[in-house]
Amino acid sequence: MRVPYSWLKELLPEAPSPEELEAVLARLGLPVEEVERIPAPPAGVRFAVVKSAEPLPGTALKKLVLDAGREVVVVSGAENAKAGVGVAWAEPGTRLPGGLEVGVREIQGVRSEGMALSPAELGVGEYAGGLLELPEDSLPPGTPLREAWPEELVFELEITPNRADALSILGVARDLAAALALELKTPDPKPPLKDLPFPLEVVEVWDEKGADRYLAAYARGVRVGPSPLFAQRRLLAAGMRPINNVVDATNYALLELGNPLHAFDKKALFEGIVVRRARPGEEIVTLDGVSRTLTPEDLLITAKKGEETLPVAIAGVMGGENSEVGPETTEVILEAAHFDPVSIRKTARRLGLKTEASYRFERGVDPNLPPLAARRFLELVADWAGAEVSANWVDLGGEKPRKEVPFRPSYTNRLLGTDFPEDDQKGALTRLGVILKGEAEPYRAYPPTWRVDLNIEEDLVEEVARILGYDKIPETLPEFFPAPDNEDADRDWRAENALKRALSGLGFQEVINYAWLGEDELRLYRAPKPRLLLANPISSEQGALRTALYPGLLKNLLTNRERPHALLFELGRVFLDEEETHLAALLAGPYLAPTWQEGVGEGYYALKGLLEALARRLGARVEVEAAEYPHLHPGISGRVLWEGEEVGWIGELHPELAEALELKAPALFELRLPLKRGARAFKDLPRFPAATRDLAVVVPQDTPHAEVAGVIRSAAGGYLEDLVLFDVYEGPPLAEGEKSLAYRLVFRAPDRTLKDAEVEAFVRAVLEAIEARGWRIRG
Amino acid sequence: MLEDWLIEVRAAPTLEALEALRVRLLGKKGELTQKLKALKDLPPEKRREEGRKLNEAKRALEAAIKERAEELKHAAIEERLRAEAVDVTLPGLGFPAGNRHVLTQVMGELVGVFERMGYRAVLGPEVEEEFYNFDALNIPPYHPARDMHDTFWLKPAPGFEAQFDRPLLLRTHTSPIQVRYMASHTPPFKIVAPGKVYRHEATDATHEAMFHQLEGLVVGDAITMADLKGALLSMARALYGPSARVNFRPSYFPFVEPGVEFEVWWQNPKTGEGQWLELGGAGMVHPAVFRAVDDLREEKGLPRLYEGKTGFAFGLGVERIAMLRYQIPDIRYFFQNRLRFLEQFREEV
Repeated sequence: MRVPYSWLKELLPEAPSPEELEAVLARLGLPVEEVERIPAPPAGVRFAVVKSAEPLPGTALKKLVLDAGREVVVVSGAENAKAGVGVAWAEPGTRLPGGLEVGVREIQGVRSEGMALSPAELGVGEYAGGLLELPEDSLPPGTPLREAWPEELVFELEITPNRADALSILGVARDLAAALALELKTPDPKPPLKDLPFPLEVVEVWDEKGADRYLAAYARGVRVGPSPLFAQRRLLAAGMRPINNVVDATNYALLELGNPLHAFDKKALFEGIVVRRARPGEEIVTLDGVSRTLTPEDLLITAKKGEETLPVAIAGVMGGENSEVGPETTEVILEAAHFDPVSIRKTARRLGLKTEASYRFERGVDPNLPPLAARRFLELVADWAGAEVSANWVDLGGEKPRKEVPFRPSYTNRLLGTDFPEDDQKGALTRLGVILKGEAEPYRAYPPTWRVDLNIEEDLVEEVARILGYDKIPETLPEFFPAPDNEDADRDWRAENALKRALSGLGFQEVINYAWLGEDELRLYRAPKPRLLLANPISSEQGALRTALYPGLLKNLLTNRERPHALLFELGRVFLDEEETHLAALLAGPYLAPTWQEGVGEGYYALKGLLEALARRLGARVEVEAAEYPHLHPGISGRVLWEGEEVGWIGELHPELAEALELKAPALFELRLPLKRGARAFKDLPRFPAATRDLAVVVPQDTPHAEVAGVIRSAAGGYLEDLVLFDVYEGPPLAEGEKSLAYRLVFRAPDRTLKDAEVEAFVRAVLEAIEARGWRIRG
Repeated sequence: MLEDWLIEVRAAPTLEALEALRVRLLGKKGELTQKLKALKDLPPEKRREEGRKLNEAKRALEAAIKERAEELKHAAIEERLRAEAVDVTLPGLGFPAGNRHVLTQVMGELVGVFERMGYRAVLGPEVEEEFYNFDALNIPPYHPARDMHDTFWLKPAPGFEAQFDRPLLLRTHTSPIQVRYMASHTPPFKIVAPGKVYRHEATDATHEAMFHQLEGLVVGDAITMADLKGALLSMARALYGPSARVNFRPSYFPFVEPGVEFEVWWQNPKTGEGQWLELGGAGMVHPAVFRAVDDLREEKGLPRLYEGKTGFAFGLGVERIAMLRYQIPDIRYFFQNRLRFLEQFREEV
């Protein structure tokens, strides 16, 4: 919302100075995004009247003869350049706000002296599609324009969606007046009303929910032309483009008061107006020249012509081209209505049309504003376009009552933790236009109809706080005992934190990747199929929600190509049939990076050792069983069993995939959370000595260690305290296809020293089990 | 004689030579030992005098040998130490120094501040139902406040339509956790909810499509907005020191009423200048949210517990705090995962 300071000052003569205004508005919840200073036109820009405009043959240009206090000739390409209007003329030597220096130029054989300017060239608006067009009697020709067009400060406010009431100069002034206890000069238009008969036979609303108020007013004898200079100046400063004095009058009243208005050429309405829902597939060409196809969700203004009702506007969004006010228009019907916010929002969104009108209607306009807005329009159109304005109008739906909301000052203090006196609270609400009834609390509060956001008691509490000042709220800390079922609520957070600390403690760097990957990326990385796609991606990487973390880690390796040595981990969500939390880690290059010495600890066994260390830190048992995965080397991969439960995989990247990525295959794992913690039971320190025996078992080469260890464990009996693999050997004198696994068996009884004979018996049992499997002991 | 021996002892070049000398002189058949043995052959009056001299010489020799041995041992150690010396300035083995992501660190610090005040940190899903992200938070369909949340909507991949039959999105804020938590827990309680959120936004130096929020929610019988200010002041002091201040400015979030933005007075470490920083939104839980929660509870067969309670909620962006603290110029650095960036933020233990 752009608020020109001079306009605000008109409604609020005691408005704070521009320097103070910003802080006051922020305190009120109407923060200033930007203060724009629009300088007065340069000194060399003068008001001039176009005496004649002749096309230059063979071009789109015109030769304009201007009265700028003296006769000057300029060439202009503007379509709207015509005789009888006032323009802003820059004399040669003028430097324009955009930096251009105006000179004398020879164009198509015509000596063009200076330039006739568009609002953009003049630096007062964005419109560059034509000349600034002023009434020819605005100023004596030759007058420096800046005498009537001083510098303006524009406050660009950020209005939250609840504060629809502040989407007008009046609304902002009203809030300031309430907060600072200043006098507000509410516009009180006095149009020269005449008792002209209202000319339409019919004004009907067929959908009263869609349009709960519909006011139509009438003006005739309209002379369409440019609006007065001061009005154009304000419209431009507020960010609107002047069109003509009728359309500008609707926009001026809209900006000032907040009620979107629409002016129809009366001719286009035939017998009258019918407000109804659109029929499926019905079409209308809107003012922007675009043909729009409608649905029954859309509310239409139609013209009644016999049995037909022809669309002339999309209610509350945009008018139709067929009923536009143009140079030939002499009779005007003004619409000042109130439409259903949800209906307007649906239509505006579906059509992708965000207009000044739809923006306001969908947030909520004061339903009792139409009469004031209509009177203001009639006043302006009488003044600017010489119109005769009618005292007779149609107002369907009528005045809306105020809502009733309970109000207890004690509740304000209870909710805010303040002790605002009751009178101060009531005073704040009254200044905002709230009517309070009742002798004591609960009071009955009646908020003004422009405050569509005040519906419950808490809304009034906020108003009290806003006006009396949030800085009056003290700082306290609540004290209570939480209900018992909240006790363990932070279990997951603590577990995730412990894992992050453990992994970073082991030397891994944490990374955080996006939740999405391209669908082709997921395929490339051989990750599980995506379950959810992004419906409205912005970039090609935003194809699908990730189904695994490891592709992200591999991408991070690519990002850090200059670092062939990396330990990375990520803990985050993946999106499979359920949303899961995963932990993935990757080891590229040796664990101990090469320095002047060689690196140490590379590949699968290094990463597996780190996984085992992680498990030890969490007091858990981890095992790996050979298993194949599409993205892993089929011979160097397995499923991870954590406390006996399958939670993920570990392995080396598949060589094909590594090659495709031009990476040396890293080792990586990915686990699904939660990871169980092992039981934490204390075992007393041993009091009796252990007996150890070493055994080397010869087995076929493809026999996994886990299988051999399992056989030993189950045969060794309950006193086997530890089983340590200390050597793996292949080669002579073993036969081809054999390997030897050397184990140290540690036996201990908690309550006595084991006898040699007992230990021998345990070992014999182990030997028998080994032989039973067809393995042998290496001598 | 003794003098010559002593000279020999003092000149023994190695421990081995010294030992040989000791054997030669003092061993069983050593020269001095022989002389001592020969004493018994001397007449008693001479024997006494000679014995005294020889024993004295023996003691002197023993002492000299011991002394020489010490010297030689010391020299040997010195020599060994000289030989073993290394260039201590060479780097050590390349052990990795792991690190948590800077955002994890900052988030952990923020959560820690609240944990010290008795809050519990809870988590929620990142793929959220429209109902929890919007409707239950008093943002019905076609509410203009939905404009404040540019949303990544989701659709099921082909073949998964039956599994995902409700409108899903990537949560645009951590506030849905408020509803989920209240629907399954009993007040009073204090929680914070850290997590990732997503906005449908083109990225630039100050905008990211993914970022982190910390949500806070306290519900009880008489929670006030002053309690909210106190909680935020505690956080501000923990972050920015004892002189930190908190300020409220009216704002609008449909799930709180009154709703405010909160600012914290912050001193720029580079310039030393102070300024108000907008850190997040906050307010008192809107009665409509309590009502939606109670409705949900009723559906689940749980008692309605929330109508009539009061509570406060707040939410703040974590990236912004990290960017200010470390003067990081571009929000995109956080998720590019360049090690050169990540490794700069060492754990502050």
